[in-house]
This record gives sequence, structure tokens and C-alpha cells, in this order.
Amino acid sequence: MATTYRRKPTKAEIRRQKMEELVMFPIDWLEERSGLIGGLKYFLFRNVPSDINWMQTLGSAALTAFLVQAITGVILAMYYVPSADINPRTGKPIAWESIVNITDHLTLGWLVRGMHRWGASVFIILMFLHMGRVFLFGAYKYPRELNWIIGVLILVNGMMEGFTGYLLPWDQTAYWATVVGINLNGTAPFLGPWLAQFLRGGQEISGETLTRFYSLHMLLIPGLIIGLITLHLYLVVRLGVTSPPWSKEAAGGEPEEEDGARLRPGLTRPVPRPSGASAMQAEPGGQE
Amino acid sequence: MEPEQPSPDTEHESLPEETHLPSPTLYPIGFAIGIVVLLVGLIINPLLISSIGAAIAIVFAILWAREATAELRGEPVVVEPERRESRATAADPHGVTLEEVPDNAVTRSVFLEGATLGLGAAIGGLITLPVAGFAVLPGFLGQTQHKVDLGPIEKFPLGKWFISTFIVDPAEGEVSRRTVFLRNNGNVADPETKQQVPSFTIISNRCVHLGCPVQANGPIGQKYTGTASFKEHTLNGPVEFQSVIPAGYGCPCHGGQYDPEGNRIAGPPVRALDRYDFEINHGRLVLLSTYSVSKVVGTGGQAQIYKYKDVGPGEHVDGPEQFFYPINPPHH
Amino acid sequence: MAAIPKEKPSRIDQARAEFARYKADVKARGKPFYPYAMWHDTVMSFVVVCTIIGLAVIWKWSAWGPDHDPTHKGLLGPEVDPPADPGTTSFVPRPDWYFYFLFYLLRIFKWPESVFLGTVGVPTIALILLIGLPFLDRRLVRRPSARPVAMVAAVLTIVSMGVLTWKGATAKEALASEVKQSIPKWKADEHLPPAAFPGVELFASAGCTACHTYDGAGGSQLGAPDLTAIGSRNLGLQFQINHLKCPSCVNPGSPMPPFASLGDDRLKQLAIFLEASKGTH
Repeated sequence: MATTYRRKPTKAEIRRQKMEELVMFPIDWLEERSGLIGGLKYFLFRNVPSDINWMQTLGSAALTAFLVQAITGVILAMYYVPSADINPRTGKPIAWESIVNITDHLTLGWLVRGMHRWGASVFIILMFLHMGRVFLFGAYKYPRELNWIIGVLILVNGMMEGFTGYLLPWDQTAYWATVVGINLNGTAPFLGPWLAQFLRGGQEISGETLTRFYSLHMLLIPGLIIGLITLHLYLVVRLGVTSPPWSKEAAGGEPEEEDGARLRPGLTRPVPRPSGASAMQAEPGGQE
Repeated sequence: MEPEQPSPDTEHESLPEETHLPSPTLYPIGFAIGIVVLLVGLIINPLLISSIGAAIAIVFAILWAREATAELRGEPVVVEPERRESRATAADPHGVTLEEVPDNAVTRSVFLEGATLGLGAAIGGLITLPVAGFAVLPGFLGQTQHKVDLGPIEKFPLGKWFISTFIVDPAEGEVSRRTVFLRNNGNVADPETKQQVPSFTIISNRCVHLGCPVQANGPIGQKYTGTASFKEHTLNGPVEFQSVIPAGYGCPCHGGQYDPEGNRIAGPPVRALDRYDFEINHGRLVLLSTYSVSKVVGTGGQAQIYKYKDVGPGEHVDGPEQFFYPINPPHH
Repeated sequence: MAAIPKEKPSRIDQARAEFARYKADVKARGKPFYPYAMWHDTVMSFVVVCTIIGLAVIWKWSAWGPDHDPTHKGLLGPEVDPPADPGTTSFVPRPDWYFYFLFYLLRIFKWPESVFLGTVGVPTIALILLIGLPFLDRRLVRRPSARPVAMVAAVLTIVSMGVLTWKGATAKEALASEVKQSIPKWKADEHLPPAAFPGVELFASAGCTACHTYDGAGGSQLGAPDLTAIGSRNLGLQFQINHLKCPSCVNPGSPMPPFASLGDDRLKQLAIFLEASKGTH
């Protein structure tokens, strides 16, 4: 730093500095013992290409939808009862009654249940749109192939989450959609009938199927989704997000065409020489 | 932080540092056990067990006190002298070179690697196998057959179809409710005994494409059919019988169509509708288990039913695709 | 300078070089994620949460019919369905909407030998192609205008999934429980006389519409003709009755099953209805 002449700090400035130290103390404490603050800072302040556009928000929008599902799901689980037994006093299945209870009697139950039900559709739509955007941008190519595969697995798990959750209200739509869905699996050659019986927990759909699907819907599949999302986000941060491929200032510029013809350079690459020369000759010196 | 100033006490070395630490000993454990036995004895049997506990505690307390005060009373502490064996040899007079170990020798590290992985695998197996068994096996074992009592056979008018819903297992309740299309075919001659025996056509309403509930194509209810519907109270609870005149059966899911005997006429169903085995028990119609049918030739009591073991929806029982499902899970 | 032709580097090396350039570009010219990109993400997340809440509110307020009946079918469907009845004979099963494309696929594969293709064959192949996409398309170029095969495949996929989903949503089976709702419309469109009313009820419930279409309802199977104007052919009551009793006797080779089991009275009612169906003009 250049030499500056400073007067003595005023009382206000000393107070301010002490306040800052007080505020920073827990953050520094955490950082020294875990490194998490540094990681968070890296995540927040890392550079992304300057020409990214709104289409690239679909991924985080899908994550938001998933978080809505997780939170509303946890709360619904406090009131939902996964039992297909009939309540002797009312003659209705207990699971179905718990859903009616949530919808009609509990304060704001209709809102949480509605958010969870429509959040599922929104989550799946956003995943498909995000997948389409990634395909359009060619962002499944090197080095992001693994991330694409993880994303497809998240999509499949998301749809399985929807399928298992669909049974839980134990109404007509739920029951029969699940009958067909499980029998669909049962038609797979060789292992199909075994898989179908495992999913059903028996030869026919019963209370065992409901509790089984509840366990899958609450524990196994969300666990898989959370794990896969974590990997997915880690790879996004590590590998970076792509610029829109049609952008004139695309980060990284254009790869070589097969015939070394048209190229649209990034700013760090010199313009290649016209035909006759291999475009690779323009390479040296532009990088570091 | 400033370094600690030496306090006046520690400046004088009254005793060496080591003797401030108690020597390692197991007597406190014995003392603790004695106290525990004493307390437990107060609950169980104050006279006998507490006395034993008190005796143990006192004995170990004495031993412990004796050992702890050994130095004060001047008894020597016996310590083994440190020894090293000389590894000096003619070639190596100071004994400093290490022994050569051949590469493939089972050294300690190699053994530990193998033992760790092996033990880890054993732990994995011990945890996952019972859990996997619990997750998988209950769905496959213990599947029992249920009998469904549908009432006296006199109640069924000859040649009339009924849609009948019943509960297969009252203990399981509503979840085991099933529906059949049922017709009394009258008496037919049994092929073996040549006796006249009652004949019923009992067709399950679960579509054999993917299990959707099949509907009867025809007028339902007394107003349209002219036959009375009725309810029967049986050992399986109340059973409903709705009269119907089916010109066939249709499935609302993917367009499967069947004729009144259950044969597939159109759509994706892979065989004829499943049927129920039945028996006549004290004049009452009793349903047994379901079986699968590839086709039915003829109608009513004269029908020839091509019968197979019960398989799930979507599974072929004849034709080349029957080999897609060589082994089925155990059915009752 | 004389041009010294070099060996073209392998594709993976080109890809690595491009990625290295990308990292350098981002480091030199990129913007920090927070607040620039995170602002976009936050706005979009806000829209998403508002949409979800909005849908929940619309579901609630449109589903309440008279007397706060939660089974009233509103804009987004009823809030509460009847409880599961494994013995039903009048319910039409459907999956959740995002499975409609698979559902309709099952209706396309109508031949029993092809069932497993629709249930597991095609979906599994589609999933394998989807997961294997980065290995099928290894070209480096990312601009859409330079990837014609990828763009055409994407458009085809989106269009076909959209069509399958829409057709799954509108698929109807012409079974008694669905068709009966059309009876008032038929009576109005065809100006049916009261004598034909018993026949129209029978027609709706006897499964005729499984194969015949009538005034916009019903399915078309096995070559069955549309019956909206069957009466205008003036075939006569007796012909109709004879045909219904034994279609293949009257019309050799007809796949229509016999309806003699309905009984003479009902056959006459049906015949009156058919003869009264002169068309909707």
C-alpha cells in the first residue's frame, strides 16, 4: 500500500471496529475449525461466464421446488397415517381419513397438502425443462458427461417419488394407478413377477404395499435424490456453467470444426488465419 | 496469554513428580462391584445379597488402600528391568541392520489389510443379509389360500349372471375385497364319476393385461335385467349380488374386450380372464384360489377351460412368450 | 513464415484445450455468482414458489362446490376422491399426468404379443439412450445451428412426448359408466321419441359403444360402423332384432357378438331406438 497519512482513529471508528470484530468472531471461529466459511465464500463469489441467461435458472428452480416438497412433506408426515386398515367407527381407511383430516380440518392443512401435490408436478416439469435447456446448450459434453448422467438419475428418482407418493392417499385413483404401475413392472421378462411381488409386499396390493411405498417415498428415494443433488451441485461448481453456445462472447470460444473452417474465437484466442493453414497454428501464446 | 508464573508451592520439590500419580490397579473396580451388589441387594434381598456386597466392597477397599499407600509405608515397588537382546552377529557387530523380509511374506501390514477387509465384509453381510431378508422374504413366504363362502347354491337362479363383490379375508378387511362375474350353469355330468354335479362359471374381474377392474358390458340391476339383485350374509361377511346381462366385458384402461366366457376378443390382454376354483360345501358355494386361463371353448357347463397355474397380469401362458416367465414367485 | 502442418490433436485433447480456455475466460472475464447469477436464480425461485402456492389455492377454491363438498370436481380436480375400493366395477384408472405418455404407449401396443414392448421395452430403451447421450454425441460443437441431428431428435422427442401426453389425457373408453353421461345429449341431438328412451339406456349400458361410435361418443373397434344415422337406412325393426340376435347369421363374417341373451323385450326396445336414430340434422 502507498504511504498514507492517517490521523488517529476517532472514537466512532474504534467502536465500529470493535463491533466488526465481535460480529466476525463466530464466523472466524467456525472457519478455523471447519473451513466451511471459505467453502461458502468460494461458492458465492466464484466467477461465472458473463453472458449466462435466464434459461440457466431452471436448475436452481427445480432445486427450490424440491425443497418445497421436502419441507411440506415433513410437515404432512406429522399428520398422515400410513394404514390401510378400516376405522371401525367410520368404515373408511385410516390413511384416507388422515388426508381428509389434513385437507378439511387442520389449519392451513389444505394449503400444505396442495403445495405438496402441485409442487410435485412443478418439480417434474422444471426437471424436464432443465434437461431440455442443458441439451440445447450442449452442456452434456466434455467434461460434464457425468453430471448429465447424475441428472438423468435424479429425474428417474423424481418420477419414482411421484409414483410412490401417489398411492399414499389410498383413494380410488391412488389404488388403481398403483395396481397398474406395479403390474407394468411385472411384465418385464424373467425378473418381472419377482420385482412386482417385492414392490407389493405380497401377491396382492394390501396394507403392506402402503407401508412399503411410504418407506420408499419418505426415506429411500429422498435420500437418493438428496445425495445425487449434492453430487450434481458439486460438479456444477467444480466444472462451471457453460455460456450460451450462440453467444458471441462464449467463454472458451469455439472448438475446432472438423475441417478447421469457421471459428468464433473467445477473446483470449487470436483469430485464426484464413484457409491453407491449419487453424492450430494460431494457438501459441494466446493463453497464459 | 501470559505464561504461568511458578507458584511458591511448586518451587519446592517435596516428592518426585511420578509418585503424585496413583499406580495402575484393578482394586477400584472390585470395590465398585461390591457397592453395586450392595445397592442391588437392598432391592432384591437385603439380608443376603447386601451382606455379600458389603463384604466384597470392604475386602477390595482394604486391598486398594494398601496398594495406594504402599509408598508411604515404605514398601518397595517392584519393577521389571528393561532389557534388550543383543542382535550383534559376526557380520553386523553392532546389531543395527534390519532383517530381510521377502516380498511375498505375510507381514503384519498385509495380514491387517486382509483382516480389516474380511471383517468389514463380514459386518456388511451380518447387517445386510437379515435386513434384505426382512425386506424381501415376507412378501414371498406365508401366502395362504383363503376360502370365500358365497351362500347356498339354491339362491342362484339358473343361467343368470351376477356381479358379486365379497371380502376374501375378513381379518384383512376391505383391502381384500374382490369382484367376480358369476353364473349358475345348473348340473352337469362329472367326466370321471358320471355323477350330476353343480357347475358355476366364476370369472375374476381383474383384467389380465395390467390388472384394471373390468366392467360388464350390459344392463345392470333389476330394472333393466328383470332378475332381482340380492345380498347374502355369509361367513365372509355381507356379499352383494347384482344381476347383469353381459354381452361381454370391457376394460377401461387400455381397451381390452372379452366375451361372456372371458375369452379375449380385442385389445392388449394376453390371455382369457382368470377364474376361481370352487367347491360345494354343505350345499354352499365356496370359492377357492384363482387360476389362469388361456382360452375357453364352448359356454356354460359345457365349456372346455384351458387351465394354467395362476400367474400375474401381463404374463402369457401359451405361445412363444410363455418362456419369458419361466419361474414365478410362489403362489397359493 | 512457412506453414508447418501439424497433426490434428485427438478429440479429447481438443476438448481439454477448450475447457482450459473456458476456465481462463471465466477467470478473466467472468462475473461473480453472487449477486449476478444468484439474482436471476432468486427471482425464478420466487416465481416457482408463487406458482406452487397459487396452484394450491386455485385447487382449494375451485374444488369447493355446494355445501363445501370436497369431492366436487373443480378446475384442478376434486380435493378428495372416494376411498380405495378393490372390488369396483365402475372406476376408470389413470396415472398422474406426467405418466400419460407411458399410459398412452400401452394403448398403442394393442397386440398381446407386443405388450412387454410397451410396458418395459420402449421405456427402457429410451432411458438407455438418454443416459448414454454423452457417449452417443461426442462432437465438440455446442451451437444448435451446427448440430442438426441433435436438434431434429430433440424436436421429434418433444413433439412425440407432447402428443402422447395429450392423447393420454383425452383417452376415453366407451364403457357404460362413461357413456351414460351422454344420453341427454343424444336425446336432444337426435330428437328421440319417448318410445326410444328405454332403448337408448340399454344402448349406453350394453357395451355397444365399445365398438360403435354414436353422436360423437364411443370407440371405433373391429370395423364397427357409426350408428348415428342407422335409422335413416330404414332397415326395419325385424331386421334390427334378427341382426342383434345373431349378427353373423345376417351378416356373414361379422365379428359382432350375439346379443340374444338380452331377451326379446329388450331387443325390441333396442331396435326401436336404432330405427329412431335418423341422424343429428
